[in-house]
Amino acid sequence: MAISREEFDLIRSFVHEHSGIQIGEGKEYLVENRLTVLMVQNGCKDFIELHKKLVADAGPLRAKVVDAMTTNETLWFRDASFFSAVSDFIVPQLMEKAARQPQVRIWSAACSTGQEPYSIAMLLDHARRKSRGQQAPPLEKFQILATDISPSVLVIAAAGRYNQLAISRGMREAFLERYFNKTGTMAYEVDPAIRKLVTFQQFNLKNSFDGLGPFDLILCRNVLIYFSNELKAEIYRKLHARLTPDGLLAIGASESPRGYTSNFEQVMVGGAALFRPKKGS
Amino acid sequence: MIKLLTIDDSRTIRRVISGIGAMLGFEVLEAENGAEGLAVLGEHVHEIGLVLLDWNMPGMNGLEVLKSAKANPRIRHIPVMMVTTEGERDYIIQAIQAGAVHYQTKPFSQEEMATRILEAMGMGGA
Repeated sequence: MAISREEFDLIRSFVHEHSGIQIGEGKEYLVENRLTVLMVQNGCKDFIELHKKLVADAGPLRAKVVDAMTTNETLWFRDASFFSAVSDFIVPQLMEKAARQPQVRIWSAACSTGQEPYSIAMLLDHARRKSRGQQAPPLEKFQILATDISPSVLVIAAAGRYNQLAISRGMREAFLERYFNKTGTMAYEVDPAIRKLVTFQQFNLKNSFDGLGPFDLILCRNVLIYFSNELKAEIYRKLHARLTPDGLLAIGASESPRGYTSNFEQVMVGGAALFRPKKGS
Repeated sequence: MIKLLTIDDSRTIRRVISGIGAMLGFEVLEAENGAEGLAVLGEHVHEIGLVLLDWNMPGMNGLEVLKSAKANPRIRHIPVMMVTTEGERDYIIQAIQAGAVHYQTKPFSQEEMATRILEAMGMGGA
């Protein structure tokens, strides 16, 4: 029995309401594939009954549905041109900042299984090593907050353990050698010094950002594409409020805050487009 | 160390699951059919934390293996997750009613399978 139009619409509006994520037209298979088990496990005969349960009960079932709908594949150093800009321009700027301020804060706002925040942490350490310690600020000056709406992916991220397939998705040979310890025959563990830089926390971007930051760099790449226009505008406003005056916002190559807020200006950094708060905004 | 057991006639799937198990910090035992799987379960009953069970296999099919495991008081407590190409609602209902704790359709992404394993073992955080 395939999912009906009514069932699909109910579930996707629920997911949107509770996570901000929009499930596009034609994605019936995704709902069916990921949620049928929860439906059956909870004694529901169809998705209409599951929806009724979700509305009536704010308990763990809601979190499980959102979790099941938000698991995505991810890569190390995802988007080569962005990460060469990070390596060549942004990390040196952050190093300079760390030399003159007590802390440099970075936020990876949808970190999935941890590849993005660990990639940044490795580049910070790599830059320190390249400077051969001359005036290089200690690693402890950097704090990376890594959040995701899905608690399950955060378990994997915090463990910092990856298999050959995960490593093969973008990890550089030299970095693999330097920043991973092989455990057993099939897995690699991120070096404890790198793991120490990253704090993982479950967070829904729909929630208030009060108490977060301020951040010198926020990575929110390829996340807002799943959100409605109203929510995009709201999140851009909240991101703007959590950036330092000279902080940078990194979003996906196909994304722009234009049309949602006028508070950002685009800056080209080594061929990658980033955004910073407009002066006086 | 907690072990996983993959029962699947596809060597590729067994290898993929072994890799995902390693990422999660679990040793993965392998069996290529239902009878062998039940034997391994009996042998490692105190170590196995989750069985990942294919549906379509030569000899006993996955549902028969599941029913057989759940009928055996020595091994019935070990959670079983079906891992199969059969994604129809009726199949899922049959499996859950027969005692499977979770159900993952093939093909799957590595992240998807890893999170399902953690959920099935009550370690998913949600």
